[in-house]
Amino acid sequence: MQAFDQIQELWQKHDVEVKVSADEMLQQVKKEVNGLKLKSALNILGMLASFIAIAVLWVFFHFESWTTHVGISITLLAIGVYILILYRDHRLISKSDYTLHPNEYLSDLRVYQLNRYKLYNSLYWFYTVALSLGLIFYFIEILAHLSITMTIVAVGFTFLWILFCSTILRNAVIKREKERISLLIEKFERISAQISMP
Amino acid sequence: MEQKDKLFKEIFDSNSKKIFHLCYGYTGDTDAANDLLQETFLKVWQNLDKFRNKSLISTWIYRIAVNTCLTYLRSEKRQAKDELTDNIIENKIEEFSEKNEQVALLYKCISKLEENDRLIITMVLDELPYHEIADISGISEGNLRVKIHRIKQKLTELYNQYASV
Repeated sequence: MQAFDQIQELWQKHDVEVKVSADEMLQQVKKEVNGLKLKSALNILGMLASFIAIAVLWVFFHFESWTTHVGISITLLAIGVYILILYRDHRLISKSDYTLHPNEYLSDLRVYQLNRYKLYNSLYWFYTVALSLGLIFYFIEILAHLSITMTIVAVGFTFLWILFCSTILRNAVIKREKERISLLIEKFERISAQISMP
Repeated sequence: MEQKDKLFKEIFDSNSKKIFHLCYGYTGDTDAANDLLQETFLKVWQNLDKFRNKSLISTWIYRIAVNTCLTYLRSEKRQAKDELTDNIIENKIEEFSEKNEQVALLYKCISKLEENDRLIITMVLDELPYHEIADISGISEGNLRVKIHRIKQKLTELYNQYASV
């Protein structure tokens, strides 16, 4: 039979080890925020690489038909606009530091979430249509040099790829990103909600 | 900024252990306690400029920690994810058994208490003065004494009950 004093003694004898230091703790919080920033930056870099690759193709290859030039121009324009939108959103989550200005960051994060939603919905279709149009123009000259079989394979593959990106891949990306941002917002909201009533 | 960093580190080093103990007593889970500790000190960092020495800094931090703990498990998502403290304790008891059976049992008993009672008893076990506990929990000192007496009895009862099994 134990008395409360013995229980208290037991509690006090039990030494707990805090595994996190002050520096690590702040870094850990920043890391979560930085994860989102890094992903957004990688997204921009990927798009930028595509833009450069197509631009290099345009500069170094000699295309004869005007349709090819129109096709590449439309494609580059679509990618360029997409990069600008991505960059604008990236700046939104990069401009404030959650550990210093939590409310400002949280409000920016909400706008970011809304922007991403628009990007993957209405804006995405403009991008897909522009990209498809660019590819159609581009293919007019390119496919003329290929056999019927190769033409069918190239057109079929491109069509299926665009279809895959616009449906399965797009839905998966939307779902994953929505969950990720929502969790981050939920966590920061929970923290911020208690800041005014410590 | 450097001065704030330095002050924060001093505050963290002198309070983190007790706050971790509080969070651990509340959740019975190291990872969850670390999460709560992190949230608590994040709030401390953000509000350090607002702290006006009206109360002891440790009292202020305890109050933040108590609010953090109470809000933590009420989050629907977390409840679904963690299936509340009981299960966590049940799982953790295996890890404890060889090392310190009695401590594991104590955490199990604490987890059987009501949310608010868990936090109050943790502060009592850490020997915080009653007026500070009253300040942190927002209960008058008179009521708190009665409440603490009741919680102590309940915890002792639970402990003896489980120890005899």
